[in-house]
Amino acid sequence: MARELVHPNYVAVWVWLVALLIASVGVTTLPISTGIVLLLIFAMAVVKAILVALNYMHLKSEQLLICAMAIVPLVIFFILWIVLYPDIALH
Amino acid sequence: MAQTHVVATGVEARVASGIPTGKMGVWWFLASEIVLFGGLIGSFVMSRVGSGGWSEMAAHLSVPLGTFNTFVLLTSSLTMVLAFAAAEKGDQKGMRTWLLLTVLLGLAFLIIKGFEWGSEIGAGFTPMAGSFWSFYYTMTGLHALHVLGGVVVNSILFLSALMGLLRGREHRVELAGLYWHFVDIVWIFLFPLLYLSWTKGGI
Amino acid sequence: MSARVEVEERVSFFRTYVFSIDHKMIAKQYLAIGLFWAVVGGLLAYLLRWQLAYPDTEAPGWGFIGPEFYNMLVTMHGTIMVFFVAMPILLGAFGNFLIPLMVGARDMAFPRLNMLSVWTLALSSLVLLISFFVPGGAASAGWTGYPPLSAKPIYTGVNWGLNLWILALALEFASFLMSGINFLTTPINLRAPGMSMFRLPLLVWMQMTAAILFMLSVGPLIAGAIMLLLDRVAGASFYLPQGGGDPLLWQHLFWFFGHPEVYVIFLPGLGIVLEIFPVFSRKPIFGYRPIIYSTIAAGILSFTVWAHHQFISGMDPRLAMPFSVTTILISVPFALMVFAMIATLWGGSISFPTPMLFALGTLAVFLIGGLTGIFNGSAPVDIYIHSTYFVVAHFHYTLFSALFFAGFAGLYFWFPKMFGRMMNEALGKLHFWLTFLLFNAVFIPMFLLGAGGMMRRIANPMQYEFLRPLQPLNTFATIATILLLLAQLPFVVNFFWSLFAGKVAERNPWQANTLEWSAPSPPPHGNFDTVPVVYRGPYEYSHPSVSEEWLPQDRPTMPTATA
Ligand SMILES: [Cu+2]
Repeated sequence: MARELVHPNYVAVWVWLVALLIASVGVTTLPISTGIVLLLIFAMAVVKAILVALNYMHLKSEQLLICAMAIVPLVIFFILWIVLYPDIALH
Repeated sequence: MAQTHVVATGVEARVASGIPTGKMGVWWFLASEIVLFGGLIGSFVMSRVGSGGWSEMAAHLSVPLGTFNTFVLLTSSLTMVLAFAAAEKGDQKGMRTWLLLTVLLGLAFLIIKGFEWGSEIGAGFTPMAGSFWSFYYTMTGLHALHVLGGVVVNSILFLSALMGLLRGREHRVELAGLYWHFVDIVWIFLFPLLYLSWTKGGI
Repeated sequence: MSARVEVEERVSFFRTYVFSIDHKMIAKQYLAIGLFWAVVGGLLAYLLRWQLAYPDTEAPGWGFIGPEFYNMLVTMHGTIMVFFVAMPILLGAFGNFLIPLMVGARDMAFPRLNMLSVWTLALSSLVLLISFFVPGGAASAGWTGYPPLSAKPIYTGVNWGLNLWILALALEFASFLMSGINFLTTPINLRAPGMSMFRLPLLVWMQMTAAILFMLSVGPLIAGAIMLLLDRVAGASFYLPQGGGDPLLWQHLFWFFGHPEVYVIFLPGLGIVLEIFPVFSRKPIFGYRPIIYSTIAAGILSFTVWAHHQFISGMDPRLAMPFSVTTILISVPFALMVFAMIATLWGGSISFPTPMLFALGTLAVFLIGGLTGIFNGSAPVDIYIHSTYFVVAHFHYTLFSALFFAGFAGLYFWFPKMFGRMMNEALGKLHFWLTFLLFNAVFIPMFLLGAGGMMRRIANPMQYEFLRPLQPLNTFATIATILLLLAQLPFVVNFFWSLFAGKVAERNPWQANTLEWSAPSPPPHGNFDTVPVVYRGPYEYSHPSVSEEWLPQDRPTMPTATA
């Protein structure tokens, strides 16, 4: 039957999420170059998404098939991004 | 021409893969949703890189409102997962409370978003005002529709919990939660893409 | 193991025939929708062929056609055949009917979702039907709906027709997304005891792969369709260059889905053929696991080939080579599957009832379709033949093989299980031979026309000096089309006659192994008398340890054969 889900500290995760939110807004006010700002805010977005997926959606303790159902679609739309890049971004 | 036959009621408790059937169904749905938003976001990113000049448009969005709305949605994810934790412990009252809070936070998100749209349209930034705005309304609109769907699902869960219909079916809270967290994750990316990527004449 | 409560229940007419949650009734509803649209699509084919053979003359039974109406005919013919005939029949009907039976389940994993999906398709069909009757007529921007042509109503003169077309497609996608969830969850979770993944019939594997391909490729096009609709009705400019948009974006989003969609249709057809070959050659399938691995490989590769539809679209030329390579590469798993099919037939004691004839026809027709695909896949050759009738002939050879030949093979094969009666063999064989010969008579001339340079999407070939000498080929193809449509009459007669007066079918009329043949014909709601237990793989024909030539998956006679 279904595996027992591990219960992380949900509130601590939320604190991290809010802290990262504040940090990403704060970064945009710093006197650093646009490239680094973009890098930082999207890195923080990725971390936030991973926190939600691993803890709130319990991917940390889910079976391989479920994890594959989350990851394979990412790979697939990245293929689309790669091809859109020369055609739409560089046209 | 009524027919009589043996009807199999009650879903067979067969779970060959070890993953509960409902959870697997939700995950297949989410897999298709990931590609949907991935394709849309990819189109936006590539068009934005290819066009230039979208940052001036993006600078018209209200960062304080966007940040607050992100906070609302992140918090609603917390209340949703707490509803699930309560349901697992058999704490019916806690489950109802957290579900209700999730519904209210979802509604708050929609109201704030609606207010933002209103003031943007009032300032002349309609979907016809340029490619950035076309994408902006499409992406936030599609996301808001998903939030609305989540609010409806959570409300149904809350009401059936009130009427005691959810007893023995508490796993539905987990399934609704998976969807709700996914919608949250989409917003986690939409927020920096739309609100924060305007700094210093960037792309 | 399975906690099941059996309740004797009076089920009303509505719950049995209309709002049914029984996968078999839902399959029949899909079949009805698909066959209805097949008639419409066939009539459109007749009209558009008439215009090409005798441009701007009165079509018998209809009247004047002309260029604008012709554009609508081609657009709707393509849309209907792909989305409203092929998918409802090959996935909706066969997938819904066979998956639960073949895996030994009592129904789909989510029966109510299943009902919702067929009713969403019904709604979608209604919207598409209405689109024919709104002012301006139905969509006429091609089945691919390329912008800018499709992005502004004034370009085609069609306003609501095209908006409703987008809406109908969106509903159709939603319907098959819901089906997809069932098609995947049911075989993964509701398999009967002993039915491991590698004892599943190949058709189930094919349906699952098709469902995954559909679910993971359609999302960007749904987003793209919303964007197209906003371009049309809200004045947005996602695809219009004058507003800063890019028409190439639509082409990418469309074909990112469009190419996997080919396999969404084709793999279930292949699955039908793979079920039929071992039964009528009385031999195990050759290379069961290699076929599965090839299917998975083809599925993965299918996400990397789509831009071969865009070699002459103004796409970045650096993309042509990688997409040529992946396209040639994807023919490898299909070649493997074809070899496996031939090896299955090789040395078998083959009999030729109607389903087998149609299955063999599928193989023959697909061979030509697949081989001509290699021409299109290679960019340098494609630049010459792109947008000619060579391409039209090519994709009809691939899709017609899956939809028409495999679809009919499946119908003749599972008709006894679906309706409890046998179909007439003489009429069936007549239907096959006429269809096979006339199909080739329609489409071989198109290869020649394409090589001669005849362009697609022209309403009047006679306007072009260099095409006039080729016009007899067009006339020939049109006459063959009309005869091909008439050749379906034996099937119509056979279908309805057998439905009411055919020989009553036993449980296992073809002496086949898979689980659906262990259920009564037709199976009741709940499918099996008792939950079947599976002892072996699905293709153990002519096994040395039993006297019969077949050995059902659930017969407990011999010690467990290793799969
Ligand atoms: Cu293709």
